[in-house]
Amino acid sequence: MIKGLLKKDLYNLASYKTSLIIIVIFCGMAIIGTDAIYWGSVVIGIIVGMISLSTFSYDEMAKSNRYILTLPVTRKEIVLEKYILAIGATILGSLLGFVLTLLIGNIMNYVRPDNVIDINIDTLLATTIGGLFGVSLIQAIQIPSIFKWGAEKGRIQMFIVLFVLALIGSGVGFLIKESGLSVDIAKLESVLKNFGLFLLILLSFIIYFISYKISYKIYKNKEE
Amino acid sequence: MNNIEIKDLSKKYAGFLLDKISFNVPSGAIVGLIGENGAGKTTTIKSILNIINSEGTVKILGKDSKAHEKEIKKDLGVVLDDSFLSAYLTPKHINSVMKDFYQTWDENKYNDLLKQFGLPTDKLVKDFSSGMKMKLKIATAISHNPKILILDEPTSGLDPVVRSEILDIFRKYIEEDETRSILLSTHITTDLEHISDYIVFIDKGKIVLNVPTLELLEEYGVAKCTKEEFSKINEKDYVSYKKGKYQYEVLINDKNSFKKKYGITSIDKPSIDDIMLFYIKGER
Repeated sequence: MIKGLLKKDLYNLASYKTSLIIIVIFCGMAIIGTDAIYWGSVVIGIIVGMISLSTFSYDEMAKSNRYILTLPVTRKEIVLEKYILAIGATILGSLLGFVLTLLIGNIMNYVRPDNVIDINIDTLLATTIGGLFGVSLIQAIQIPSIFKWGAEKGRIQMFIVLFVLALIGSGVGFLIKESGLSVDIAKLESVLKNFGLFLLILLSFIIYFISYKISYKIYKNKEE
Repeated sequence: MNNIEIKDLSKKYAGFLLDKISFNVPSGAIVGLIGENGAGKTTTIKSILNIINSEGTVKILGKDSKAHEKEIKKDLGVVLDDSFLSAYLTPKHINSVMKDFYQTWDENKYNDLLKQFGLPTDKLVKDFSSGMKMKLKIATAISHNPKILILDEPTSGLDPVVRSEILDIFRKYIEEDETRSILLSTHITTDLEHISDYIVFIDKGKIVLNVPTLELLEEYGVAKCTKEEFSKINEKDYVSYKKGKYQYEVLINDKNSFKKKYGITSIDKPSIDDIMLFYIKGER
């Protein structure tokens, strides 16, 4: 059943293919024109990852969730499919970003030997995974928002949620500073250096899991 | 045997109450759910399908519709007036998607139906006319050979030729296997006079009439009488009346007994629309 839902969303997204190719070409050109080459993978990862959420707008336009609920599929499967699509698109986008940045960077170094860009694979990998974490964080907030308020309203609510989270984050930071708690920065840096990327990936999946649980709770009793 | 059994189905919205409605859809029958816009037809269908949460019990093919939801939905074919998979899919895509939902999906049947309806396979649904869209929805709903068809306003907004084609499809669907059933909501009641076996009439969230269509068309009548004749009619012998400028029009549900009892011979055969109007607008 999930396969059928995925197919429906992928067919919908296929109508985006021209825009997507144009965006990727422009990103490629932007990468060529700048020394901040590592951002290429982040930007492409974000675009591809976020485009997957536009399937919610297609569903809303055709009121397709109402129809889908008449098919032999459970509400759990409907929610799960959206996460599979979002996670799949984010991973694919990040991979694409990583490969394209590497490829374009090397081609440019070959074409412009007088202006060689130093591409460090470790830094590129770290930036890509950092971007992937960012996308997963946004998606994890946005998907439940859309299930709760719909594709259009959900976007506004998402910014409110992001703002509140940023506020809480700064608040916690401020409190730690004010309370005089000492944080061993050197130790923290060492942990991040050794396990940082693994921790970010693990954290992404935990965030997605919590978000899925919240979305299912919202959608379980939603009336279409 | 009943393919669908609905008991005390209730749903409350601000300003609307679907009030403990009960009715059955027997095997081999086409049941027409009629009523004004906003009477509760779509709410009833959405409740049967668990698209909305309602109170009461719904049994489909003998099983509780909530406890065995996924299993039951394999045997249902549904057409909703305002909702479908996506406008950005082609009939070919729909075939590919639906194959994954139903093990019993019959690709040949689907393609034959598309051919029969003259529907292109590679055109996006958004570019279809209303009639084409409805035909596609119906082809999609019946191509896994469901035991029950549930259709919400399948003929609204369509011209008479397309409507007649669609009604033929429903007739054929039942003829193919007489254990099948159709529950069909509509406000175009003339369609039902030709194909339905039972009429369930909902008004303001309540069932006011649940009778075989034949009984409705053969036994109901509109008697035309003078004020004096009307004053002699016992309240129990009529459903409702309309007071005209020169005469009274009285809806009766047993025209033969009425004729004998009161000797009034000017009795017209009402359409389902007329009967609906008497129930909604008539006086008691």
